[in-house]
Amino acid sequence: MNAVDATEHYETSARDPAPSLLTVILDTNPHAWALLENSLPLSKAIANILVFLNAHLACNYANEVAVVASHNQKAAWLYPRVRQNTASDTDGDAAMNGSSAEPGQVNKYRPFRIVEEQVTQNLRELMESTSGADIQGTNSTMMAGALTLALSHINRSSIAWAEAHGADMAAAGGDVPPTGGSTGTDTMGEGLQSRILIVSVSGATDSAHQYIPIMNAIFACQRLHIPIDVCKLSGDAVFLQQASDATKGVYMSLAEPQGLLQYLMMAFLPDQRSRRHLILPTRVDVDFRAACFCHRRVVDIGFVCSICLSIFCEPPENGDCLTCGTHLEMGDYGAKPAVVARKKKKKKRVNGQSNTATPTPTPTPGP
Amino acid sequence: MAMAATPSRPFDYLESLPGTTFYKLYQQPSTALAIFRRMLPDLAKCFVMALLYLKDPLPAANLEVWVKAESLKERDNALSILGRLHILSNTMVADNTRAYKITDPFASSLRQALTGAEKTQSFGVLSHLSNSDSRSIAELDEYARRQWEGVLGYMVGTSGLGIQRDVNLSKGVKQLLQAGHLVEIRDRRVEITQDGFAFVLQDVSVQVWHILMLYVESADAIGMSSVEVLSFVFLLSSLELGQSYDKKHLTSNQLRTLTDLADFGIVYQESPDTNQFYPTRLATTLTSDSSALSNPISGSLSGPTGGTTDKAGSGFIIIETNYRLYAYTSSPLQISLIALFTTLKYRFPNLITGKITRQSVRRAIEMGITADQIISYLATHAHPQMRKHNVSRSTSNQAGIPPSVLPPTVTDQIRLWQLERDRVKATAGFLFKDFVSLSEYEAPCRYAEEIGVLVWKSDRKRMFFVTRHEQVAAFLRSRK
Repeated sequence: MNAVDATEHYETSARDPAPSLLTVILDTNPHAWALLENSLPLSKAIANILVFLNAHLACNYANEVAVVASHNQKAAWLYPRVRQNTASDTDGDAAMNGSSAEPGQVNKYRPFRIVEEQVTQNLRELMESTSGADIQGTNSTMMAGALTLALSHINRSSIAWAEAHGADMAAAGGDVPPTGGSTGTDTMGEGLQSRILIVSVSGATDSAHQYIPIMNAIFACQRLHIPIDVCKLSGDAVFLQQASDATKGVYMSLAEPQGLLQYLMMAFLPDQRSRRHLILPTRVDVDFRAACFCHRRVVDIGFVCSICLSIFCEPPENGDCLTCGTHLEMGDYGAKPAVVARKKKKKKRVNGQSNTATPTPTPTPGP
Repeated sequence: MAMAATPSRPFDYLESLPGTTFYKLYQQPSTALAIFRRMLPDLAKCFVMALLYLKDPLPAANLEVWVKAESLKERDNALSILGRLHILSNTMVADNTRAYKITDPFASSLRQALTGAEKTQSFGVLSHLSNSDSRSIAELDEYARRQWEGVLGYMVGTSGLGIQRDVNLSKGVKQLLQAGHLVEIRDRRVEITQDGFAFVLQDVSVQVWHILMLYVESADAIGMSSVEVLSFVFLLSSLELGQSYDKKHLTSNQLRTLTDLADFGIVYQESPDTNQFYPTRLATTLTSDSSALSNPISGSLSGPTGGTTDKAGSGFIIIETNYRLYAYTSSPLQISLIALFTTLKYRFPNLITGKITRQSVRRAIEMGITADQIISYLATHAHPQMRKHNVSRSTSNQAGIPPSVLPPTVTDQIRLWQLERDRVKATAGFLFKDFVSLSEYEAPCRYAEEIGVLVWKSDRKRMFFVTRHEQVAAFLRSRK
């Protein structure tokens, strides 16, 4: 006989799949793109990314995209863009959807065209506003600012979506503390599904001075279950590897930048729901190095404040931690240990007694 | 449950079409885009997009290792749907390996839709009107709501109750409803059929699809090509709400379709002679999921008859664990719908109360309404307060299970009441039997289960029953 059991009656209440919001952070660092000029010029990359954005929009009626440019001086919105000339709303929020009257070209799905026009137009404006002096000033990119912009947009969209659908604040909004012991992956089916894709061209050392804000953004993503996907066209950025590793995103360093579109379509298009069924390209050898808090150098081995866990590449002055101000006893660091005599002793002991006498675990003796 | 989101009706209809029809349909980028978006499960979308810009066919083995081992079922389901819709084709590449590729008119149309480099007016032609002439979104919503409620009201028979006098249903609408066996005319009186009951309780987007499919099916009878009508429907679904579109480029058949659809409130035109038309929300959300609709239409359909689309997603029904039901509505249509399965008690200007009882549910089931329809009706129209309350409660109790808006006791009881009557379920399909050995039986049986067509099996009798036989038969042939 047909039984009404507990598993069955939840099926119909399962909602339709929630839409997903894709935020693309495009690294527009002119220095790095100049190096890529021969294999993949920026214009071609933009064309590929636009097709990718359209493909994302095509997957679901309610899917959304956002594009942030991480330029060398600032991070700027490419889409949706706040229009300066339009008066802001009564609640102080500026309208995020400036749609200009567009003539001509009618044979295109309208949402696609709006995204395309805005992205190209805003990018052009951004490039025109960049002076030679700006470029000479620095050769890094404002990744931290772009990540923060993307995160605040995602947060805003999630809250707006949850409000519009009357429920699921727990899953969508960041303001509700996560429930008990439930792991985040269980609740991911609800709410707006957001993810971030970073198309990165700049190298690692350039962004070391933004180490702290980048890591903070990464931890925020980790907490909100927002995967950060990284598509690396050139160079290899330490922190971005950590970003995709910590947030369970996809990290790909493209061997052939010309095939950008195919990489995007295959590896980066599937959303969180589809990813459950797919085997994703991930990285095994993640570079976990950190940057020091004093000189922003990427360090292999450093000093860690025992109180606040700040990292330093060399002992801070007077032994005072630069972050929390605690006075740290350095001991006699730097003094050469007089180990020569001891070593002999040790050897004797090893011969005589068991290994337990040695204070530090020694490598297993060879054959 | 990947298929749960897709209403099966348009899918079934499409599937029954011959391959040549697909060839014609896929010539239009808008059709390719709409089918891609609406008919495919998530995984199938990933496959299509991954293959779309590949020059050479992708060896099947490569595609198969892309999917996790525990998701075999989803993979085969996705591949099977793609095959049935003639999107994916199997080819042989060198050294006899099987490979997949996207079939051609579909691939090129979808690429055109994404990049927009072509000449056809597949996505409609905007007409430029001065602002004073154009219709606002609120007006269009109001029009769509009035027309659609008029259609439903005609079916349920509220037309006599004194509302909706202003809606004049054309003869075509009434004929279509009759042809679809949603209503019957007896002694010049309109009587709703069992199918009709099932229809009125469905979600608006499902209803619209149902009507459109009826329309497409009847197109051949009134001298229009169903392919043309179908691709026009998909074109409508890709238009933008609040914009007016030019009629100049439409064929006479498309104009005729337009006039017919205007009666349902799917498109709006001042009169058949004007040069512009507006798609309403009913049209533009055709390719969305019902939740993405965020129910402005169904919300305003159900809400107070003021017609102003207030807050999006406003439901109006509160149901308690003791089966009492409160509905904040004064719409005669909604009241008569609720009365189908509820014993009503009081009626106030903006509120009715009632109770769901065994008797009332049985009465509804005798009329041909199913428990699932009642539950989904209640769930889609649940009051925001109920959503909030139940979500906060159920996430704390059972993490991992999607929160149910309705009290579980009520949904279970409605189902149990149905089971009291409903003891036999018929499924049309095909029986495979007389396998020689157990091993010969097992492989196709497992295959059928993986592609999601298996209904019943008996290892002892070496028989299994499937809803579709083509692929299983092909599988059996390939093993010989």
